[in-house]
Amino acid sequence: MAAAVGYGAMKPTKLGVEESHETLNRIRITLSSRDVKNLEKVCADLVKGAKDKQLRIKGPVRIPTKVLHITTRKSPCGEGTNTWDRFEFRIHKRVIDLISSPDVVKQITSINIEPGVEVEVTIQDV
Amino acid sequence: MGGKKKKSFIDKKRSATFTLVARDSASSSDPLSSNRVFVRTDNHYDYSVPGFLDSDEEQYNRHDESSIFADAVEESGARYAGRSNGSGLPEEVRKEILELGLPDDGYNYLMHLREIRNQGGGSAYYENPRARFNLVPLDVKAYDASRVRLNSDAVKDDEPGVDTIYKVASKSAPVRVQKAIDPDVIRLLDDSDLSRFGSDVEDLEEDFVLMANQPDGEEDENGDVQVKNSCADEEAVYERESDSEVDDEMDDVVQQRVRRPLDDAFDEAFKEYLSSDEDNGPIFGDENQADLEEKLKGALKDFNLEDSVQEEVYKAPADSVKDDQESAQVIRKCTEYAQKYLNESEGEEREVVLVSESSDESEMWDCETIVSTYSNLDNHPAKIEAPGNPKRRLPPKSIPFPGELGAGKDVITLGGKEMLPVNYLPQRRKIMEGLVREKLGSAEKPKKVVGEESKEEKKERKVALKNERREARRAKKELKGLYKSETQRAQKAVAVTGPSSIHLM
Repeated sequence: MAAAVGYGAMKPTKLGVEESHETLNRIRITLSSRDVKNLEKVCADLVKGAKDKQLRIKGPVRIPTKVLHITTRKSPCGEGTNTWDRFEFRIHKRVIDLISSPDVVKQITSINIEPGVEVEVTIQDV
Repeated sequence: MGGKKKKSFIDKKRSATFTLVARDSASSSDPLSSNRVFVRTDNHYDYSVPGFLDSDEEQYNRHDESSIFADAVEESGARYAGRSNGSGLPEEVRKEILELGLPDDGYNYLMHLREIRNQGGGSAYYENPRARFNLVPLDVKAYDASRVRLNSDAVKDDEPGVDTIYKVASKSAPVRVQKAIDPDVIRLLDDSDLSRFGSDVEDLEEDFVLMANQPDGEEDENGDVQVKNSCADEEAVYERESDSEVDDEMDDVVQQRVRRPLDDAFDEAFKEYLSSDEDNGPIFGDENQADLEEKLKGALKDFNLEDSVQEEVYKAPADSVKDDQESAQVIRKCTEYAQKYLNESEGEEREVVLVSESSDESEMWDCETIVSTYSNLDNHPAKIEAPGNPKRRLPPKSIPFPGELGAGKDVITLGGKEMLPVNYLPQRRKIMEGLVREKLGSAEKPKKVVGEESKEEKKERKVALKNERREARRAKKELKGLYKSETQRAQKAVAVTGPSSIHLM
């Protein structure tokens, strides 16, 4: 029920006059990175930017970190005590949902970006 | 969970997905546009978001046939539906390919065309405004043959100008010969006044003497003038033979110079000098002239040898000897004796003088005698024999020496090759160690096979061995000191009898 309401509805309180003339889309921004600090920074900036523009935003959802392990022998040959290296590769993912017009989102995402953070935007008509 | 799956915020199948990627900066990049652009990553082209992409992002998302990724392997087959039939290329593209002369086989050759710009990799063309391609020397070399003198055979007439090439050549045309010489070199060669190399103060020209003498025209100076003229001529010729582009002004260097009062004074002085030329004597005093000459001529008269050099007949030095000299007397005496001898030998019998020589049979030298001529200090002559079996000297040890059994402590037994006292002098290390071991009373451990003994046992063994050795060394030193006098005596004895290689102390 609640989902059905949310599917096509817009919250009138948060919409400004300009927005009512433009098409609104559901936008999902997926941020992924290996570096948590940068990622959190980008997320915070995005959320702040969206809140400034009075957009309806669903705050950064933290997807569980995927850790990829690589375990290899330290030695280049087979000789010696069998020591192993354990490398890991962490991928952090954050998802932000917005409802707004696409150009606004464009503005927000173009302002800040840290190196190493990958941004993916999925747009759907409401 | 029994309920239906919650409606997700975004339906992936009905949405457009964009990824933020770095801009490819080869294409037009102005500083105002950002580094990153949104590129569509999904394939649902029926759903498009009109307001999301800018104009330059649009170009990234264009899926032309002419883009460089056009022939990449597609992941979905949806795009094939949009292609035209036939060769697979749009008509404009085909037309352009045909215009360029490339074959029309459905392959888009236009994607290999590249705009010439100043960017790009190493194959970019850079227009060099100062490049001069016409300076490359020509394959054809042109020589200046205007001064070639023809052979007299080829010349028919006696006309003066006929032996040049021009008369003989069937066709001659003026050709501008472009010489591959640096303009700097030409400038240097052209430098006729050479004012850069001379000093500015210098007032004289190069052949100032010539120029000075020419207006005078005196007879005495003709010789000099002619010499100088010829010199000048040589110079002129030399210059002519060099680069023909050199100006002919060089030949006309001789000019009239403005006369100065100094020139007049110089002329007068020169005239005076020439007029006083009759003296022909040295500059210093005239009175001593005659005396000096006579003195010089008479100085060497005493030492005058016969001028044997100037005569035509060859004479040996002995022949040219005069009678009043000593050497002449000696030579005369020698000749007299020789003649006497010759005359004598014809007459009487010759006396035979025997000189004692050593013949081969009377003397017999051998090594011994020769060696015996040497001093006995240096060598001890003996007859050299083949080395025999050294063991033959002693009877085998199995046979007891008659005196051995009765040998007690007081008897010093001699043994070995050199018949030295046995068991009398300080002995070798191992035996000393054995003694020490007896003294210390340590029992020898049964020798284990290496590898079976453990580390501690090995260590113990080694330490014990070390101790033994240390004790043995100490005991040896003690004993050595005790019996030093005895060793000296033994050494003396050995020195006389045996070879000198034995050192006992």
